[in-house]
Amino acid sequence: MRAIGRIVLGVAFLFLIGPFAVIVAAAFHGGDTLTFPPNHLSMRWIMEVLANRNFQTSFVLSIVLAIAATLAALALGVPAAYALVRYRPRGAGAIRGLLGSPVVVSGLVVGLALLHYVVVPLDLPVTIALFVAHTAILLPYAVRVVSASLVNLRVDIEEAAVLLGASRLTAFRLIVLPNIRNGLLAAFVLGFITSFNEVPASLFLTGPGIRTLPIEMMLSMELVYDPSIAALSTLLTLGTLIMVLASERLLGLSRYV
Amino acid sequence: MFGRSHAPAALVAPASLYVAAAFLLPVAILIAGTILPGGKLSAAGYVRFFADPLSLEVVWRTVRIGIVVTIVCIVLGYAMALAIVDAGTKARGQLIGLTILPLMISPVARTYAWVVILGRVGLFNNLIVGLGLTQQPFRLLFSEGAVYVGLVQLFLPIMVLPLVSALENLPADVVAAARTLGADWFTVFRRLLLPLTREGLVIGGTLVFNGAVTAYVTPAVLGGTRNLSLATLLYQQVAVTDDLLAAGVVATILIAMSVTASVLLRRVSTSRDRALTRAR
Repeated sequence: MRAIGRIVLGVAFLFLIGPFAVIVAAAFHGGDTLTFPPNHLSMRWIMEVLANRNFQTSFVLSIVLAIAATLAALALGVPAAYALVRYRPRGAGAIRGLLGSPVVVSGLVVGLALLHYVVVPLDLPVTIALFVAHTAILLPYAVRVVSASLVNLRVDIEEAAVLLGASRLTAFRLIVLPNIRNGLLAAFVLGFITSFNEVPASLFLTGPGIRTLPIEMMLSMELVYDPSIAALSTLLTLGTLIMVLASERLLGLSRYV
Repeated sequence: MFGRSHAPAALVAPASLYVAAAFLLPVAILIAGTILPGGKLSAAGYVRFFADPLSLEVVWRTVRIGIVVTIVCIVLGYAMALAIVDAGTKARGQLIGLTILPLMISPVARTYAWVVILGRVGLFNNLIVGLGLTQQPFRLLFSEGAVYVGLVQLFLPIMVLPLVSALENLPADVVAAARTLGADWFTVFRRLLLPLTREGLVIGGTLVFNGAVTAYVTPAVLGGTRNLSLATLLYQQVAVTDDLLAAGVVATILIAMSVTASVLLRRVSTSRDRALTRAR
């Protein structure tokens, strides 16, 4: 059985991970059109992508958007998760369902509905529209991950603090927050990555000159067939890899996925 | 200690109001707009949509993509989950990490890798032409098959994770006990593993089906314009024709599909549950 298992895993991981090796190799092809295997190696396209103005601006937008939307989702999600886990109010199941609902619906639909019934009537700028949509999409993850770490935290140490005279807020700040720190950081990393990679919800909400990086990639993919997208994909893959491995080591990220 | 007070309501309210205002309400108005175009009750949008054989083809293709990808992910995912759990506790953590890793990487980059592999001068075609198996490179990209491959790679980890936790939670030694009592591997799988991991199968299956049906990037990049799914059709209707009623109809069908799939799958799992209890 073990031998069959090894073969299954070998084939499965070749299928899951292999494409990344292919894209890294394709990124170092020096010619004008995308081909595999690369016939002469060069850093040409990596350099070109790094110097590309459109990619630079959309990269900055994506980073700022991901940080802002994740922080907003945590600001809304942490109190909600705390109330749901600690107080178990009546209708907790329904509230959980409500807060998780943005995940069920395609991001495309979320973006379309927001565009026509919130962004256009209120005349919101593109960046705000993206922020509103991404916050809504990240909120379910924030609530879920923070709830999971709150469930594992014993209630009595917090009660002890309150009995000894701390206010609820102080007890939360001094007892609860430090204890769920890893969960919060993991929620931040997962939210950041989700927002940074998000395409469907951003698609209808981008405006002229204001695009997130994945949208910019989708657009230039249709226009050019050179190795630049492979080069950019390689940079993104390596960046994500470093981030995920670091958070796995420091926080045990995979426990929260 | 944590008695009745207004605190929980005040803590839950901001998040709930936000979801209501930024998600539920706009989506509800979008859905309502499809049956009340211009303020009057009318099914005209749906009649127009379903009268068009082209849109019926798109609906059927989307359902087909969802079903095929879910089935392939279940089969591959089950084999992977069994092998991961069987690999022992120490290797298990690393294998789970390796499964999660692709999930974190940009779907655009993951999908583009298949352009490099399946393109006219890509890995696959250069390989078979180089080996002299064929003179003419195959046209693999911009096909429904390419969409299947891309989506299975995208969603396989989502199927594996709930199955691994279901298999990990199996009571110790049940498999060994069944084997000792004379059950063959097929019987163990059908009578023991399948019923005990049903929850994981339902969770994973729902996530994969919903993901495959609503995916935008993969059909847009690997399917091309001739293999539209509901998601890519929705984009076209907004970006190209700016037909809000038609787009709303497609959006409503997409939502209905996800909801139906979750309900159906839950129904399947609970009815089997009841049958099992009765059998005992």
